[in-house]
Amino acid sequence: MLLSVDRINVFYGSARVLSEVSLHAKHGEVVSIVGRNGAGKSTMLKTIAGFLRPLTGAVKFDGEEISGRPPDQVARLGVRYVFQDKRVFTKLTVRENIELAAHAAKVRLIDAIDRVAQVYPKISMFLASKAGGLSGGQRQLLLIGRAIVGSPRLLLVDEPTEGLAAGAIEEVLRALELLRAEVSMVIVEQNLSVVSRFADRIYCMKEGHIATELSDLADVRNQAYLETYL
Amino acid sequence: MLNATLKILQKFDLLVIAVLFLLLAPIISMDRSIDFMIFCIFVLAYDLLYGYMGRLSFGHMLYLGVGAYAFALSGEYLAANVFLALLIAVGSGAATGLIVGPIVVRTTGACFALINLALNQLGYFLVLVAFSRWTGGEDGMSASFKRVGIFNFSNHTIVFCFTFACMLLVVFLVRRLTNSLLGILLRGIKENETRVKFLGYDTFVIKMAAFILSTTLSAFAGALFIINYSYVTTSFIDPLRSVEVIFACLIGGAGSVYGALAGGVGYKLISNYLPNYIQRWEMFLGVVLLLLVFKFRSGVWGYVAAFVKRCDRPAEETKSHPEVSR
Repeated sequence: MLLSVDRINVFYGSARVLSEVSLHAKHGEVVSIVGRNGAGKSTMLKTIAGFLRPLTGAVKFDGEEISGRPPDQVARLGVRYVFQDKRVFTKLTVRENIELAAHAAKVRLIDAIDRVAQVYPKISMFLASKAGGLSGGQRQLLLIGRAIVGSPRLLLVDEPTEGLAAGAIEEVLRALELLRAEVSMVIVEQNLSVVSRFADRIYCMKEGHIATELSDLADVRNQAYLETYL
Repeated sequence: MLNATLKILQKFDLLVIAVLFLLLAPIISMDRSIDFMIFCIFVLAYDLLYGYMGRLSFGHMLYLGVGAYAFALSGEYLAANVFLALLIAVGSGAATGLIVGPIVVRTTGACFALINLALNQLGYFLVLVAFSRWTGGEDGMSASFKRVGIFNFSNHTIVFCFTFACMLLVVFLVRRLTNSLLGILLRGIKENETRVKFLGYDTFVIKMAAFILSTTLSAFAGALFIINYSYVTTSFIDPLRSVEVIFACLIGGAGSVYGALAGGVGYKLISNYLPNYIQRWEMFLGVVLLLLVFKFRSGVWGYVAAFVKRCDRPAEETKSHPEVSR
């Protein structure tokens, strides 16, 4: 098992936001988390990534307990997080954005740029430009590309298509499709067409807990069926 | 064209800076130019935290003062060797950064500003009262050193040359560091520290490195001030004077080596010459600060760079769209 989340309880102050949540992801798997706004999906990813500490329960990555570890340690183990808000370092150039990832992953800059180009072939045109000048779709591709520098083992992707135009969504999905053979993913997504296209398994979250787990591929690929769970 | 000129000047920037300061010296006097150069080193040290890392400190005089007093005290009580005293001063600055850094760098915003102010106040009190037996308290203490080879610091020409070389060295060092991965990391932390963590960086270590570098260079500037003045008083650790370096950063433009130099010289020109014409010159400085904050946030260097870019843009657009030029 690559990722194992076992009955975690997470609080924001005195408010419990995740209640006895368990999920797992195997090597090579794409797991999706769906649910309405406020269900706790992003909180789940943040907890796995180390941004939040569960009060009880355990998060294990490849057999190693990572719950409570700071985000930088979790990242160095091979877990990368692509945030929902598409925030790049706007005042740095695209090259500098990639350089940060390259150095953290201990790869050469040229190799890191090549890696990013696998998901975003046009990246070389923008290397000298400030990342703040990129469009939403371009930023998302840069973030995904940056996250896979150094070949992480698990990608946590938070609503990759949110707020993007149709063309940009297709590019992002193409990028994720390219990556599914190389890296396991946990994708939070509200767009059920994306979920049904990609996921091997789906967790439906509701009010901070897992309402259902769907592992039958026929169910997962059936968008109409998924909608009944939201 | 202007952009190309600026790029060439940037390529030989140390030479350009050297020439500019050598041209400035006879105009404003050698003594003043030494003061200007040392202040520029202090501004560069401060800008590492403020301009690059986005942390505003209200108490950076503490680190300047640590260097100044460490330098003077080592000359008085250890050995009258100026280079040993310099080493001790720089070491004291680094040690101060190492001791207070773990508390200070974990804070941001107003907390960072005020915790530095509080520490500066503490340092000021220690020098003024608690350790006055050694520091001379309000009266201060003199600092004289024996000649070391050609380095006779009672000769102001030697002081000028030495300070000039030190300033160029610091400019070179800061420019190399800020153009390296450390500079990118600091700017990343300034923009979004959490995201830098998620890339796999321990930002505490990076912030500590920048903080210690800043305190060390500030202490170095403090020691150089004492070489120049041959005495140290509590004014070198006075928290109220921390505003000078903040003004300088704002005037020149934070986050740029050239901005720090422009701001250092600009502030010193204002503070040295304006009192001759306006009695309440600090009020003028207050108005300048308001203008900078509300209208000219990028400072002198920021606007020069933006102006050059704007001037070159029509030429670049014409090149890429040749039909427009016909």
